[in-house]
Amino acid sequence: MDALIDKIRRGDRRSLARAMSLADKAGQEAQALKDRLRRSTGNVPWWGFTGPPGVGKSTLIDTLLGMLRQRGCRVGVVAVDPTSPVSDGALLGDRVRMMRHAVDEEVFIRSLATHRREGGLSDATLHCARLLELAGYDPVLIETVGVGQNEVDVAGVTDICVVIVGAGYGDDIQLTKAGLLEIADILVVNKCDLPDANRLLNEVREQLVLSSSATSGQAVYSDLTKSPGGTPDRKQASPGCTPKGMAPEVVGIEAKSGKDVDHLLEKLLELDRAARQPQQRQRHKQTRVLSEIRHSAMLVCEQALEDRLVAPATKELIAGLERGELSLDQVVRELSVISCQLSVEREPPRSGGRRLRTDG
Amino acid sequence: MNASRPKRILIGKVGLDGHDRGAKFIVRALRNAGYEVIYTGIRRTPEQIVRAAIDEDVDAIGLSLLSGAHKELLSRVAELLKGEGAENIVLFAGGTIPDQDLAYLRSLGINRVFRPGAALSGILSALEEALTGGRSTGGGATT
Repeated sequence: MDALIDKIRRGDRRSLARAMSLADKAGQEAQALKDRLRRSTGNVPWWGFTGPPGVGKSTLIDTLLGMLRQRGCRVGVVAVDPTSPVSDGALLGDRVRMMRHAVDEEVFIRSLATHRREGGLSDATLHCARLLELAGYDPVLIETVGVGQNEVDVAGVTDICVVIVGAGYGDDIQLTKAGLLEIADILVVNKCDLPDANRLLNEVREQLVLSSSATSGQAVYSDLTKSPGGTPDRKQASPGCTPKGMAPEVVGIEAKSGKDVDHLLEKLLELDRAARQPQQRQRHKQTRVLSEIRHSAMLVCEQALEDRLVAPATKELIAGLERGELSLDQVVRELSVISCQLSVEREPPRSGGRRLRTDG
Repeated sequence: MNASRPKRILIGKVGLDGHDRGAKFIVRALRNAGYEVIYTGIRRTPEQIVRAAIDEDVDAIGLSLLSGAHKELLSRVAELLKGEGAENIVLFAGGTIPDQDLAYLRSLGINRVFRPGAALSGILSALEEALTGGRSTGGGATT
Protein backbone atom coordinates (compact mmCIF):
# COMPACT_ATOMS: atom_id res chain seq x y z
CA MET A 1 0.00 0.00 0.00
CA ASP A 2 2.75 2.45 0.91
CA ALA A 3 4.52 1.67 -2.36
CA LEU A 4 1.34 2.55 -4.28
CA ILE A 5 0.88 5.79 -2.33
CA ASP A 6 4.50 6.73 -3.05
CA LYS A 7 4.11 6.11 -6.77
CA ILE A 8 0.99 8.27 -6.87
CA ARG A 9 2.76 11.05 -5.00
CA ARG A 10 5.61 10.89 -7.50
CA GLY A 11 3.13 11.47 -10.32
CA ASP A 12 2.79 7.97 -11.81
CA ARG A 13 -0.44 8.29 -13.84
CA ARG A 14 -1.01 4.58 -14.21
CA SER A 15 -0.80 3.98 -10.49
CA LEU A 16 -3.20 6.86 -9.90
CA ALA A 17 -5.64 5.52 -12.51
CA ARG A 18 -5.48 2.00 -11.08
CA ALA A 19 -5.91 3.22 -7.53
CA MET A 20 -9.07 4.99 -8.70
CA SER A 21 -10.41 1.71 -10.07
CA LEU A 22 -9.60 0.06 -6.77
CA ALA A 23 -11.38 2.86 -4.90
CA ASP A 24 -14.46 2.16 -7.03
CA LYS A 25 -14.65 -1.40 -5.66
CA ALA A 26 -15.41 -3.09 -2.38
CA GLY A 27 -13.15 -5.47 -0.50
CA GLN A 28 -10.37 -5.34 2.03
CA GLU A 29 -7.67 -3.94 -0.22
CA ALA A 30 -9.97 -1.15 -1.40
CA GLN A 31 -10.93 -0.41 2.18
CA ALA A 32 -7.31 -0.18 3.26
CA LEU A 33 -6.64 2.32 0.47
CA LYS A 34 -9.68 4.43 1.38
CA ASP A 35 -8.68 4.56 5.03
CA ARG A 36 -5.13 5.44 4.12
CA LEU A 37 -6.31 8.30 1.88
CA ARG A 38 -8.44 9.81 4.61
CA ARG A 39 -5.30 10.27 6.71
CA SER A 40 -3.17 11.87 4.02
CA THR A 41 -5.51 14.40 2.42
CA GLY A 42 -7.90 17.23 3.19
CA ASN A 43 -5.84 20.32 2.49
CA VAL A 44 -6.99 21.12 -1.03
CA PRO A 45 -10.34 22.82 -1.69
CA TRP A 46 -12.75 20.87 -3.87
CA TRP A 47 -14.97 22.79 -6.25
CA GLY A 48 -18.33 21.16 -7.01
CA PHE A 49 -20.34 21.77 -10.18
CA THR A 50 -23.96 20.74 -10.35
CA GLY A 51 -27.06 21.50 -12.38
CA PRO A 52 -29.62 19.97 -14.74
CA PRO A 53 -28.57 17.74 -17.67
CA GLY A 54 -27.28 19.65 -20.68
CA VAL A 55 -26.85 22.95 -18.85
CA GLY A 56 -23.14 23.12 -19.65
CA LYS A 57 -21.35 21.72 -16.60
CA SER A 58 -18.66 19.87 -18.58
CA THR A 59 -18.28 22.75 -21.02
CA LEU A 60 -17.80 25.20 -18.16
CA ILE A 61 -15.20 22.93 -16.54
CA ASP A 62 -13.41 22.68 -19.89
CA THR A 63 -13.23 26.48 -20.11
CA LEU A 64 -12.13 26.81 -16.48
CA LEU A 65 -9.46 24.14 -17.04
CA GLY A 66 -7.96 26.31 -19.77
CA MET A 67 -7.91 29.38 -17.52
CA LEU A 68 -6.55 27.54 -14.48
CA ARG A 69 -3.79 26.03 -16.61
CA GLN A 70 -2.80 29.52 -17.76
CA ARG A 71 -2.36 30.39 -14.11
CA GLY A 72 -0.10 27.38 -13.70
CA CYS A 73 -2.48 25.23 -11.64
CA ARG A 74 -2.43 21.42 -11.92
CA VAL A 75 -6.10 20.52 -12.02
CA GLY A 76 -7.89 17.26 -11.26
CA VAL A 77 -11.43 16.51 -12.38
CA VAL A 78 -13.87 13.83 -11.27
CA ALA A 79 -16.95 13.68 -13.53
CA VAL A 80 -19.94 11.53 -12.64
CA ASP A 81 -22.57 10.18 -15.05
CA PRO A 82 -25.53 7.92 -14.33
CA THR A 83 -25.51 4.12 -14.34
CA SER A 84 -28.33 2.53 -16.33
CA PRO A 85 -31.03 1.12 -14.04
CA VAL A 86 -31.72 -1.47 -16.73
CA SER A 87 -28.33 -2.79 -17.84
CA ASP A 88 -25.86 -1.53 -15.19
CA GLY A 89 -23.95 0.01 -18.07
CA ALA A 90 -23.24 3.71 -18.47
CA LEU A 91 -22.21 6.27 -21.02
CA LEU A 92 -19.53 8.41 -19.43
CA GLY A 93 -19.71 11.38 -21.76
CA ASP A 94 -18.35 14.34 -19.81
CA ARG A 95 -14.79 13.84 -20.99
CA VAL A 96 -15.79 14.40 -24.62
CA ARG A 97 -16.21 18.12 -23.80
CA MET A 98 -12.73 18.28 -22.27
CA MET A 99 -10.65 16.36 -24.81
CA ARG A 100 -8.41 19.31 -25.66
CA HIS A 101 -6.86 18.81 -22.21
CA ALA A 102 -6.37 15.07 -22.71
CA VAL A 103 -2.63 15.22 -23.41
CA ASP A 104 -1.86 17.90 -20.84
CA GLU A 105 0.36 16.29 -18.17
CA GLU A 106 -0.93 18.74 -15.58
CA VAL A 107 -4.58 17.77 -15.99
CA PHE A 108 -6.15 14.51 -14.83
CA ILE A 109 -9.76 13.74 -15.69
CA ARG A 110 -11.58 10.67 -14.41
CA SER A 111 -15.12 9.60 -15.30
CA LEU A 112 -17.21 7.66 -12.81
CA ALA A 113 -20.61 5.98 -12.98
CA THR A 114 -23.08 6.42 -10.11
CA HIS A 115 -23.61 2.67 -9.68
CA ARG A 116 -27.18 3.57 -8.80
CA ARG A 117 -26.33 5.75 -5.87
CA GLU A 118 -28.80 8.60 -5.66
CA GLY A 119 -27.86 12.13 -4.73
CA GLY A 120 -25.82 13.10 -7.79
CA LEU A 121 -22.46 11.50 -6.92
CA SER A 122 -20.99 8.00 -6.84
CA ASP A 123 -19.48 6.27 -3.82
CA ALA A 124 -16.03 6.54 -5.34
CA THR A 125 -16.18 10.30 -5.95
CA LEU A 126 -14.76 11.25 -2.58
CA HIS A 127 -11.96 8.66 -2.79
CA CYS A 128 -11.00 9.66 -6.33
CA ALA A 129 -10.91 13.33 -5.34
CA ARG A 130 -8.63 12.41 -2.42
CA LEU A 131 -6.39 10.46 -4.81
CA LEU A 132 -6.12 13.49 -7.09
CA GLU A 133 -5.20 15.59 -4.08
CA LEU A 134 -2.55 13.07 -3.10
CA ALA A 135 -1.09 13.24 -6.61
CA GLY A 136 -0.71 17.00 -6.26
CA TYR A 137 -3.69 18.26 -8.22
CA ASP A 138 -4.98 21.53 -6.82
CA PRO A 139 -7.80 22.45 -7.06
CA VAL A 140 -9.95 19.35 -7.54
CA LEU A 141 -13.13 19.86 -9.57
CA ILE A 142 -16.12 17.56 -9.11
CA GLU A 143 -18.94 17.37 -11.65
CA THR A 144 -22.19 15.72 -10.56
CA VAL A 145 -24.62 13.88 -12.81
CA GLY A 146 -27.26 16.07 -14.40
CA VAL A 147 -29.50 16.68 -11.42
CA GLY A 148 -33.13 17.52 -10.82
CA GLN A 149 -34.36 19.39 -7.82
CA ASN A 150 -33.16 17.37 -4.90
CA GLU A 151 -29.77 15.76 -5.58
CA VAL A 152 -27.63 17.81 -3.26
CA ASP A 153 -24.94 15.37 -1.98
CA VAL A 154 -22.29 17.51 -3.62
CA ALA A 155 -22.81 20.26 -1.04
CA GLY A 156 -21.74 17.96 1.79
CA VAL A 157 -18.53 16.92 0.06
CA THR A 158 -17.16 20.02 -1.68
CA ASP A 159 -15.76 23.28 -0.32
CA ILE A 160 -17.35 25.45 -2.99
CA CYS A 161 -20.62 24.53 -4.61
CA VAL A 162 -21.42 26.01 -8.01
CA VAL A 163 -25.00 25.51 -9.19
CA ILE A 164 -25.51 26.06 -12.90
CA VAL A 165 -28.85 26.80 -14.51
CA GLY A 166 -29.56 27.85 -18.06
CA ALA A 167 -32.23 29.26 -20.31
CA GLY A 168 -35.30 27.07 -20.14
CA TYR A 169 -34.86 26.24 -16.46
CA GLY A 170 -38.41 27.30 -15.71
CA ASP A 171 -40.41 30.17 -14.34
CA ASP A 172 -40.34 31.84 -10.93
CA ILE A 173 -42.31 28.96 -9.39
CA GLN A 174 -39.55 26.52 -10.29
CA LEU A 175 -37.01 28.88 -8.83
CA THR A 176 -39.03 29.17 -5.62
CA LYS A 177 -38.99 25.40 -5.00
CA ALA A 178 -36.66 24.18 -2.32
CA GLY A 179 -33.57 22.14 -3.10
CA LEU A 180 -30.88 22.67 -5.67
CA LEU A 181 -30.70 26.46 -5.69
CA GLU A 182 -30.33 26.59 -1.92
CA ILE A 183 -26.98 24.79 -1.87
CA ALA A 184 -25.20 27.26 -4.15
CA ASP A 185 -22.19 29.29 -3.08
CA ILE A 186 -22.13 30.67 -6.59
CA LEU A 187 -25.15 30.52 -8.88
CA VAL A 188 -24.24 30.50 -12.54
CA VAL A 189 -26.70 31.31 -15.30
CA ASN A 190 -25.19 29.78 -18.42
CA LYS A 191 -26.04 30.29 -22.09
CA CYS A 192 -26.52 34.02 -21.58
CA ASP A 193 -26.51 34.46 -25.34
CA LEU A 194 -30.01 32.96 -25.47
CA PRO A 195 -33.05 35.27 -25.35
CA ASP A 196 -34.48 33.78 -22.16
CA ALA A 197 -31.31 34.32 -20.13
CA ASN A 198 -31.89 37.88 -18.96
CA ARG A 199 -35.29 37.04 -17.52
CA LEU A 200 -33.78 34.06 -15.70
CA LEU A 201 -30.87 36.11 -14.40
CA ASN A 202 -33.23 38.73 -12.98
CA GLU A 203 -35.59 36.17 -11.48
CA VAL A 204 -32.75 34.28 -9.84
CA ARG A 205 -31.41 37.50 -8.32
CA GLU A 206 -34.82 38.51 -6.97
CA GLN A 207 -35.46 35.03 -5.68
CA LEU A 208 -32.21 35.00 -3.75
CA VAL A 209 -32.84 38.41 -2.20
CA LEU A 210 -36.18 37.13 -0.92
CA SER A 211 -35.01 33.77 0.40
CA SER A 212 -32.00 35.31 2.12
CA SER A 213 -33.85 38.20 3.73
CA ALA A 214 -36.29 35.69 5.18
CA THR A 215 -33.57 34.42 7.49
CA SER A 216 -31.41 37.42 8.13
CA GLY A 217 -31.78 40.24 5.69
CA GLN A 218 -28.69 42.12 6.65
CA ALA A 219 -26.17 43.00 4.02
CA VAL A 220 -27.93 40.75 1.57
CA TYR A 221 -28.82 43.39 -0.91
CA SER A 222 -25.37 44.92 -1.00
CA ASP A 223 -23.91 41.46 -1.44
CA LEU A 224 -26.17 40.76 -4.34
CA THR A 225 -25.46 44.00 -6.07
CA LYS A 226 -21.87 42.88 -6.38
CA SER A 227 -20.08 44.62 -3.60
CA PRO A 228 -16.58 43.16 -3.43
CA GLY A 229 -18.04 40.67 -0.94
CA GLY A 230 -16.76 37.13 -0.61
CA THR A 231 -15.27 37.61 2.82
CA PRO A 232 -13.70 34.62 4.56
CA ASP A 233 -16.63 34.52 6.96
CA ARG A 234 -19.06 33.58 4.24
CA LYS A 235 -18.68 29.89 4.74
CA GLN A 236 -18.40 29.49 8.45
CA ALA A 237 -21.89 28.41 9.35
CA SER A 238 -22.15 25.40 7.13
CA PRO A 239 -19.28 23.93 5.13
CA GLY A 240 -20.04 23.55 1.48
CA CYS A 241 -22.89 26.01 1.75
CA THR A 242 -23.13 29.73 2.09
CA PRO A 243 -24.46 30.54 5.56
CA LYS A 244 -28.10 31.32 5.96
CA GLY A 245 -28.76 34.95 5.35
CA MET A 246 -25.97 35.29 2.83
CA ALA A 247 -27.03 35.23 -0.76
CA PRO A 248 -24.69 33.47 -3.18
CA GLU A 249 -23.06 35.37 -5.99
CA VAL A 250 -25.03 35.26 -9.22
CA VAL A 251 -22.93 35.22 -12.36
CA GLY A 252 -24.16 35.15 -15.94
CA ILE A 253 -21.81 33.48 -18.44
CA GLU A 254 -21.43 31.82 -21.81
CA ALA A 255 -19.41 28.71 -20.98
CA LYS A 256 -18.68 27.74 -24.55
CA SER A 257 -17.30 31.06 -25.80
CA GLY A 258 -15.81 31.78 -22.38
CA LYS A 259 -17.62 35.12 -22.07
CA ASP A 260 -17.59 36.36 -18.45
CA VAL A 261 -16.09 33.08 -17.21
CA ASP A 262 -13.05 35.11 -16.06
CA HIS A 263 -15.38 36.98 -13.71
CA LEU A 264 -16.70 33.66 -12.39
CA LEU A 265 -13.15 32.38 -11.89
CA GLU A 266 -12.29 35.45 -9.79
CA LYS A 267 -15.25 34.67 -7.53
CA LEU A 268 -14.21 31.03 -7.31
CA LEU A 269 -10.64 31.91 -6.41
CA GLU A 270 -11.90 34.28 -3.71
CA LEU A 271 -13.90 31.46 -2.10
CA ASP A 272 -10.98 29.10 -2.65
CA ARG A 273 -8.67 31.37 -0.67
CA ALA A 274 -11.16 31.51 2.18
CA ALA A 275 -11.53 27.73 2.12
CA ARG A 276 -7.79 27.26 2.61
CA GLN A 277 -7.76 28.73 6.09
CA PRO A 278 -6.90 26.07 8.71
CA GLN A 279 -10.18 26.49 10.54
CA GLN A 280 -12.09 25.87 7.30
CA ARG A 281 -9.95 22.85 6.42
CA GLN A 282 -10.74 21.22 9.75
CA ARG A 283 -14.44 21.92 9.32
CA HIS A 284 -14.51 20.44 5.85
CA LYS A 285 -12.63 17.31 6.83
CA GLN A 286 -15.21 16.69 9.54
CA THR A 287 -18.11 17.28 7.17
CA ARG A 288 -16.70 14.83 4.64
CA VAL A 289 -16.08 12.12 7.20
CA LEU A 290 -19.59 12.60 8.57
CA SER A 291 -21.07 12.24 5.12
CA GLU A 292 -18.98 9.08 4.62
CA ILE A 293 -20.19 7.57 7.88
CA ARG A 294 -23.79 8.44 7.15
CA HIS A 295 -23.68 6.95 3.68
CA SER A 296 -21.86 3.77 4.71
CA ALA A 297 -24.14 3.18 7.65
CA MET A 298 -27.15 3.60 5.37
CA LEU A 299 -25.73 0.96 3.02
CA VAL A 300 -25.37 -1.51 5.89
CA CYS A 301 -28.91 -0.87 7.08
CA GLU A 302 -30.36 -1.12 3.59
CA GLN A 303 -28.58 -4.39 2.95
CA ALA A 304 -29.69 -5.81 6.27
CA LEU A 305 -33.26 -4.84 5.49
CA GLU A 306 -33.09 -6.34 1.99
CA ASP A 307 -31.74 -9.60 3.47
CA ARG A 308 -34.51 -9.59 6.02
CA LEU A 309 -37.26 -8.92 3.46
CA VAL A 310 -36.43 -12.10 1.56
CA ALA A 311 -36.00 -14.24 4.69
CA PRO A 312 -38.66 -16.96 5.16
CA ALA A 313 -39.79 -15.61 8.54
CA THR A 314 -40.74 -12.30 6.97
CA LYS A 315 -43.43 -13.98 4.88
CA GLU A 316 -45.62 -14.16 7.98
CA LEU A 317 -45.27 -10.44 8.56
CA ILE A 318 -46.07 -9.63 4.96
CA ALA A 319 -49.09 -11.92 4.98
CA GLY A 320 -50.24 -10.37 8.26
CA LEU A 321 -50.10 -6.92 6.72
CA GLU A 322 -51.96 -8.10 3.62
CA ARG A 323 -54.72 -9.64 5.72
CA GLY A 324 -55.01 -6.51 7.79
CA GLU A 325 -53.99 -8.26 11.02
CA LEU A 326 -50.88 -6.13 11.42
CA SER A 327 -50.38 -2.43 10.87
CA LEU A 328 -47.60 -1.14 8.66
CA ASP A 329 -46.10 0.45 11.72
CA GLN A 330 -45.93 -2.91 13.52
CA VAL A 331 -44.31 -4.61 10.57
CA VAL A 332 -41.76 -1.86 10.12
CA ARG A 333 -40.90 -1.87 13.79
CA GLU A 334 -40.43 -5.63 13.74
CA LEU A 335 -38.20 -5.46 10.68
CA SER A 336 -36.17 -2.56 12.02
CA VAL A 337 -35.40 -4.33 15.27
CA ILE A 338 -34.34 -7.46 13.50
CA SER A 339 -32.35 -5.54 10.92
CA CYS A 340 -30.40 -3.65 13.53
CA GLN A 341 -29.55 -6.86 15.36
CA LEU A 342 -28.50 -8.40 12.10
CA SER A 343 -26.18 -5.60 11.17
CA VAL A 344 -24.51 -5.74 14.56
CA GLU A 345 -24.22 -9.52 14.73
CA ARG A 346 -23.13 -10.08 11.16
CA GLU A 347 -19.56 -10.82 10.39
CA PRO A 348 -18.84 -8.25 7.75
CA PRO A 349 -19.43 -10.05 4.45
CA ARG A 350 -19.88 -6.82 2.53
CA SER A 351 -18.05 -3.59 2.09
CA GLY A 352 -20.63 -1.64 4.06
CA GLY A 353 -20.12 -3.72 7.18
CA ARG A 354 -16.40 -3.26 7.20
CA ARG A 355 -16.69 0.40 6.46
CA LEU A 356 -18.94 1.05 9.42
CA ARG A 357 -16.57 -0.73 11.74
CA THR A 358 -13.61 1.24 10.49
CA ASP A 359 -15.26 4.61 10.51
CA GLY A 360 -17.45 4.41 13.54
CA MET B 1 -21.89 -2.17 -3.47
CA ASN B 2 -20.60 -5.12 -5.39
CA ALA B 3 -17.08 -6.42 -5.32
CA SER B 4 -16.74 -6.19 -9.07
CA ARG B 5 -17.66 -3.43 -11.45
CA PRO B 6 -18.71 -3.38 -15.09
CA LYS B 7 -15.83 -3.46 -17.56
CA ARG B 8 -14.84 -0.09 -18.98
CA ILE B 9 -14.46 0.48 -22.73
CA LEU B 10 -13.23 3.61 -24.48
CA ILE B 11 -14.81 4.28 -27.88
CA GLY B 12 -13.45 6.97 -30.17
CA LYS B 13 -12.52 8.09 -33.62
CA VAL B 14 -8.96 8.95 -34.62
CA GLY B 15 -7.68 11.08 -37.46
CA LEU B 16 -9.56 13.22 -39.94
CA ASP B 17 -12.81 11.32 -39.90
CA GLY B 18 -16.10 12.75 -38.68
CA HIS B 19 -18.45 9.89 -39.54
CA ASP B 20 -19.58 8.93 -36.05
CA ARG B 21 -22.93 7.18 -36.56
CA GLY B 22 -21.32 3.77 -36.28
CA ALA B 23 -19.27 4.68 -33.22
CA LYS B 24 -22.32 6.13 -31.46
CA PHE B 25 -24.35 3.04 -32.33
CA ILE B 26 -21.68 0.87 -30.70
CA VAL B 27 -21.59 3.19 -27.66
CA ARG B 28 -25.32 2.67 -27.11
CA ALA B 29 -25.12 -1.07 -27.71
CA LEU B 30 -22.25 -1.47 -25.23
CA ARG B 31 -24.05 0.63 -22.61
CA ASN B 32 -27.13 -1.54 -23.02
CA ALA B 33 -24.96 -4.65 -22.70
CA GLY B 34 -23.76 -3.46 -19.28
CA TYR B 35 -20.42 -1.84 -20.06
CA GLU B 36 -19.26 1.54 -18.86
CA VAL B 37 -18.43 3.40 -22.05
CA ILE B 38 -16.17 6.44 -22.26
CA TYR B 39 -16.78 8.25 -25.54
CA THR B 40 -14.06 10.59 -26.78
CA GLY B 41 -15.76 12.03 -29.86
CA ILE B 42 -14.35 12.56 -33.34
CA ARG B 43 -11.01 13.64 -34.83
CA ARG B 44 -8.80 12.62 -31.93
CA THR B 45 -5.09 11.99 -32.07
CA PRO B 46 -3.64 8.60 -31.07
CA GLU B 47 -1.96 10.43 -28.17
CA GLN B 48 -5.29 11.74 -26.87
CA ILE B 49 -6.89 8.32 -27.15
CA VAL B 50 -4.11 6.51 -25.30
CA ARG B 51 -3.84 9.12 -22.55
CA ALA B 52 -7.61 9.02 -21.97
CA ALA B 53 -7.50 5.22 -21.89
CA ILE B 54 -4.71 5.19 -19.31
CA ASP B 55 -6.31 7.84 -17.07
CA GLU B 56 -9.70 6.12 -17.24
CA ASP B 57 -8.07 2.70 -16.61
CA VAL B 58 -10.16 1.06 -19.33
CA ASP B 59 -10.21 -2.64 -20.20
CA ALA B 60 -10.59 -2.07 -23.93
CA ILE B 61 -10.28 0.56 -26.64
CA GLY B 62 -12.52 0.46 -29.71
CA LEU B 63 -11.66 2.75 -32.60
CA SER B 64 -13.88 3.46 -35.57
CA LEU B 65 -12.16 4.34 -38.84
CA LEU B 66 -13.78 5.19 -42.16
CA SER B 67 -10.94 7.30 -43.50
CA GLY B 68 -8.67 4.68 -45.01
CA ALA B 69 -5.86 5.66 -42.63
CA HIS B 70 -6.45 2.71 -40.31
CA LYS B 71 -3.01 1.15 -40.73
CA GLU B 72 -1.11 4.31 -39.79
CA LEU B 73 -3.42 5.37 -36.96
CA LEU B 74 -3.90 1.97 -35.37
CA SER B 75 -0.20 1.16 -35.48
CA ARG B 76 0.49 4.46 -33.70
CA VAL B 77 -2.10 3.67 -31.01
CA ALA B 78 -0.65 0.18 -30.54
CA GLU B 79 2.85 1.62 -30.32
CA LEU B 80 1.83 4.21 -27.70
CA LEU B 81 0.06 1.56 -25.64
CA LYS B 82 3.19 -0.55 -25.71
CA GLY B 83 5.24 2.47 -24.63
CA GLU B 84 2.96 2.85 -21.62
CA GLY B 85 3.25 -0.85 -20.80
CA ALA B 86 -0.47 -1.12 -21.40
CA GLU B 87 -0.63 -3.92 -23.95
CA ASN B 88 -3.11 -5.62 -21.65
CA ILE B 89 -5.78 -3.20 -22.88
CA VAL B 90 -7.74 -4.94 -25.63
CA LEU B 91 -7.58 -2.92 -28.84
CA PHE B 92 -10.31 -3.49 -31.41
CA ALA B 93 -11.42 -1.68 -34.54
CA GLY B 94 -14.43 -1.09 -36.72
CA GLY B 95 -15.10 0.48 -40.09
CA THR B 96 -14.15 0.22 -43.73
CA ILE B 97 -11.10 -1.99 -43.50
CA PRO B 98 -10.30 -4.22 -46.52
CA ASP B 99 -9.37 -7.89 -46.34
CA GLN B 100 -5.77 -7.33 -47.31
CA ASP B 101 -5.11 -5.20 -44.23
CA LEU B 102 -6.38 -7.70 -41.65
CA ALA B 103 -3.09 -9.59 -41.40
CA TYR B 104 -1.22 -6.37 -40.73
CA LEU B 105 -3.69 -5.38 -37.99
CA ARG B 106 -3.31 -8.84 -36.48
CA SER B 107 0.44 -8.30 -36.36
CA LEU B 108 -0.30 -5.24 -34.20
CA GLY B 109 -2.31 -7.42 -31.82
CA ILE B 110 -5.67 -6.25 -33.19
CA ASN B 111 -7.53 -9.51 -33.63
CA ARG B 112 -11.04 -8.13 -33.61
CA VAL B 113 -12.05 -5.99 -36.55
CA PHE B 114 -15.73 -5.36 -37.18
CA ARG B 115 -16.58 -4.36 -40.70
CA PRO B 116 -19.72 -3.27 -42.59
CA GLY B 117 -22.44 -5.84 -42.07
CA ALA B 118 -21.05 -7.19 -38.80
CA ALA B 119 -23.90 -8.42 -36.61
CA LEU B 120 -24.23 -6.68 -33.25
CA SER B 121 -24.58 -10.02 -31.46
CA GLY B 122 -21.27 -11.12 -32.96
CA ILE B 123 -19.55 -7.89 -31.86
CA LEU B 124 -20.84 -8.25 -28.30
CA SER B 125 -19.92 -11.88 -27.93
CA ALA B 126 -16.44 -11.28 -29.36
CA LEU B 127 -15.85 -8.48 -26.85
CA GLU B 128 -17.23 -10.51 -24.01
CA GLU B 129 -14.87 -13.31 -24.90
CA ALA B 130 -11.93 -10.91 -25.11
CA LEU B 131 -12.69 -9.24 -21.79
CA THR B 132 -13.88 -12.10 -19.62
CA GLY B 133 -12.36 -15.11 -21.29
CA GLY B 134 -15.88 -16.17 -22.23
CA ARG B 135 -16.81 -17.06 -18.67
CA SER B 136 -19.57 -14.55 -18.19
CA THR B 137 -22.81 -14.74 -20.09
CA GLY B 138 -24.26 -11.49 -18.88
CA GLY B 139 -22.64 -8.88 -21.07
CA GLY B 140 -20.13 -6.54 -19.54
CA ALA B 141 -21.33 -6.71 -15.99
CA THR B 142 -19.60 -9.48 -14.13
CA THR B 143 -21.79 -9.24 -11.06
